[in-house]
Parts: sequence; structure tokens; C-alpha cells
Amino acid sequence: MNRIALLTGTSVLLLLAVVRPAIAGDVYVIAHPDTKISAELVRDIYIGEKQFAGDIKLIPLDNAIAQSEFLGKVLKLDQTRYANLWVKKSFRDALNPPSVKNSDKEIIETVRKTPGAIGYVTSAPPSGIPVLQKF
Amino acid sequence: MPLAILGAALAMSSQAHAQKSPTERIDELEKKLEQSLKQIEQLSSEVARLRGPVPASTAPGPVSTANSDVNARVAQQDAKIQELERQVEQISESSTRGLKLGGVPLHGFADIGAGTSRQSNLYQTGPKGFTVGNFSLYLTPEFGDRVKSLVELVFEVDRNGEVGADLERLQMGYAFSDALTLWGGRFHTPYGIWNTAFHHGQQIQTSLSRPRFLEFEDRGGILPAHTVGLWATGTLPVGGSRFNYDVYTGNAPRIGIDASLPAPGGVLDPKASGAAHHASTLGFRAEFAPRGALDGLKVGLHGLRANVSDDSAGLNRTRLLTYGPYASYTNDQWEILSELYKFRNRDLSGATGTHQSNAWYVQAGYNTGRGTPYIRAERTSLDQTDNYFAFQNSGRSYHATSLGLRFDLTASTALKFEAGRTLMRNVKAGGGDDSFTEFRTQFSIRF
Repeated sequence: MNRIALLTGTSVLLLLAVVRPAIAGDVYVIAHPDTKISAELVRDIYIGEKQFAGDIKLIPLDNAIAQSEFLGKVLKLDQTRYANLWVKKSFRDALNPPSVKNSDKEIIETVRKTPGAIGYVTSAPPSGIPVLQKF
Repeated sequence: MPLAILGAALAMSSQAHAQKSPTERIDELEKKLEQSLKQIEQLSSEVARLRGPVPASTAPGPVSTANSDVNARVAQQDAKIQELERQVEQISESSTRGLKLGGVPLHGFADIGAGTSRQSNLYQTGPKGFTVGNFSLYLTPEFGDRVKSLVELVFEVDRNGEVGADLERLQMGYAFSDALTLWGGRFHTPYGIWNTAFHHGQQIQTSLSRPRFLEFEDRGGILPAHTVGLWATGTLPVGGSRFNYDVYTGNAPRIGIDASLPAPGGVLDPKASGAAHHASTLGFRAEFAPRGALDGLKVGLHGLRANVSDDSAGLNRTRLLTYGPYASYTNDQWEILSELYKFRNRDLSGATGTHQSNAWYVQAGYNTGRGTPYIRAERTSLDQTDNYFAFQNSGRSYHATSLGLRFDLTASTALKFEAGRTLMRNVKAGGGDDSFTEFRTQFSIRF
């Protein structure tokens, strides 16, 4: 009985160790339905290298609750380097960094209403909001 | 009563909106929305309670009157909520697009320092002691999706200790696409790497000092660091890599001579207010930035041509032509920079012909995680029969080596130490050389 309980407990812990980080760390990059961009351009958009998709001005948005996850997974940067990058970009090219929203809800609402807006959230968005890529 | 309170709150909130940020206004309206929803729930409960004991066939009476009254109040609440939702949407939209309601963020750089220099020649005697560097303020207001601007105002202390204010950059641009942004105004002349990458931002520059020949016009530079005119710039995808370009034209600089100095010489003036006799500058920069395994590398070519006059008695005119390659590589640890400038300057007012000169530097730094040691070698070989160099204070040949160490105390502050050894040619009475050492430290911030 004890062996079965031990085996079950260990299996549950192992499952949690494998599954939980994957759930906790998912980042869904989303865009306004009329904004046609490929997932490969997400990095360029967030570091100020790409500003337009056709005639539409791109508006990247940062999500405070998922920023570390996004920067690490998608941009391969930490927050200090990301901030430094934007200081240089602003000083050299007169570009302003992405505005910061405080929740998935705010990101989804802004992306839904704003042509050119791109954001990232921690769970799958409602239907009608395209997911460019899940990281 | 609750409606009266809600109405009063709405009236007050509309007055307060003028002073509050969009986020605060959204938070405030969302709270009101929640309060209203609670009131709706209460009213709905009241309706349910009133409807409960009354049979459907009951004739109109006092209870029915109460029901219709409550329904009217619910309808009014619904209308108020819809109005609140509309306001929340409007504020959210205005905070994400167009002008920021909270104003334009102001950023800047500042630095202070100390040092000692044994430089002593006809043109300059090295400073010793504590120094105040630059205080640079810049802002980047946007006017819609495509019209943008950059304003940079710098307060600096010159070698005589006097504070001067310079409008270093005032540029306004229109972004047609990623491939073309057209700027007008006063901008950093886009040659090589250093002049556009760092300019007055001491904190974002790894080293304490700039290469001497790339200093600003009034600090010993031999090139026009600023141009007043038009500048087209853009980026084009090439496979998975990037091609960046700059093309610009503007007022040609003029060499203003100060005859009161011990060794009469001049300083380049970018002619921000135009000139009585217009002469133009024309230049370009073309750069390739590969991706993948070579991410972080940039290689390019640059060129600049300008007809430059001076204020000397001879009123010399020279066609400045400089060009050359440059390269940089940056990643998490390494920063390697190098630029080469070849000169083929033609004497337009005399008969001295064409003169060839060159200038270059290489700098490498390695971020160990605790600090960034760096080293730089620089050298100029400038033809002294070329009026363009002969009539500039800083137009003498030199070679120099600098060693330094940078510590990032926080993400936005840096402490740097630098030692340098320089040999300047033909700067003493009788044509002698000046060989000197310098030690400097600097504390710089950004905000």
C-alpha cells in the first residue's frame, strides 16, 4: 500500500514538474485581425526594427504580467538589456518604446480595437483575436 | 438616491478628467461601473422579490406600479452604464493611439568627472581637476502614426568654464514606410558609427572619451558632426538580413577663424542659420547587418562631399571629400568598433591641387559581468598643405592609445576610468611635437 502511495505521489510530482512550467510560461503573441504579419517579424517589431505592415503603423504593446517571459523566450533579452536597447533606439532614431499594459484583459481589449496593435498574453485569447505564435 | 449619487459622481469625474492620466481615469470609471452593476443586482433582487408573491393574472394595483417604477430605474441605470462603457472605450483608445494625454516623456544624459592631462601646446593646455560635462535633454514627440520629431538641447561647459546651450538636434520627419523616413532640420551627420550611435549620450558610450578626430566641432573634431538640411533613411530586408541606408544633403560647414588665439586656427561651423553664399554638403551611408550566426555585425561604407570655405584673409575654398569603410560587432560581451576615413580634398581657390589624408580608430571592449575593460588605438595622418586641415585648430596629425575600465553601477549609471597616451605633430612653437599622458574618471547617468 505504502509503495503504491509512494509511486502515485512521485508520479504526480513528476507530472507537475513537467507540465506546470509549460502551462505557467506560455506566451501567446496576438495581433489585430486586420494586421497581416508573420511570426518571424515579432522580434523586429519589438526592438523597433520594423514599424509598418503595409500601410498600417504597427503598435507593439508590452504586458507587465508576462514581460519577463516574453523577453526571454521571444526576444532573448533580459529587462535591463531591453530597456537599454530602447534608450539607444529612442536617442538615435526618435522612436518611442512600446506602451505597457497591466493585464491580459487590457492587452486583448486594446488589440481588438486598434488596427496595427500587437501584444502578448498568458492564455489563449477569445475567438476573433488571431494568435501569431505560441511560445 | 443612488442615481443622484451616480449623476453627481459622473459630473465630478468629467471635471476631474482634465487633470488625471488615462489609466487613472479608466480605473475610476471601472470602479463606478462595478458600483453601478452592484446597484443593478440589488434592484433586480428587489424586482424578483416584488414579483415573487404576485400571480401573473393579478390586475394592476400598487405592486404593479412599484414594478414599473423599478423597471424604469433599471433602464436608467443601464443607460448610465452604457455611457460609462463608452467613456472607458474612448479613453482606452486615446491612450494607445495618437498624442499621449499625459504629455511627452523627457529623457536625458548628464556627466561629471575629474582628471589630469599633461597636454601643453599652442592649441591647448590640458585641463586638470574636476569637471562638469554635458547635460543633454531630449524628447521624441509623435504627431500621429507617421509624423515624428526629435529635439535635443545640450548644456555644456566649454574649456574656458563657460556654460553654453546648444540646440544639438531639432529634426522633424515623416515615415513613409520602413524603407523611407524623410527628416528635415539639424541632425547628427550619419557617417561611420560613432556620430549617430552615441553623440552626447556619455552613459550609453562604453568608453569615457570619443576618438579625438570624431569629437564635436567645437571640441577638436575635424568633421562636421552636425548637418542642417534633409536626410532620408530606411531599412530594407535582404533575405533574413537587413540593408540600412542614409542619404543626406544640407548646408556646407564653414571654418570660423579666431585670429586672437596664439596659433590662429578655426572651428567648423555647421551654419544652422544658412549662409550668405550657399554651399552644400552631400553624403551617404550604406550598411549591411546580417542575421543568424553573424547577428550583431554591421559593415558599411560612408562618404561625404562639401565645399568648405574659411574666414582667413585668403578666403580659401576646399572641396572636402571623405569616404571609407566601417564595421562594428556587438553582443552580450563584446563591443568592437572601427572606422576609416580617407580624404581627397581639392583646393578650389588656390593651386595646391588635391591632398590625401586619412584617419582611423579601432576600439574593443569586453563585458566581464563585473566591468568592461576596453582599449582603443587611433591615428590621423593629415596633410598640412591642405587648407581644410591647416586652418582648423585640431587639424594636426596625431596617434593615441587609450585604456579604460567601465562599471555599470545600475542600469542607468556608469563609472569610468581611462588612461591615454597621445603624440600630436607640429603643435609647438617651431613645429615641435607634444607627447602627453592623460588620466580621467567620469560618472554618467541617464534618465
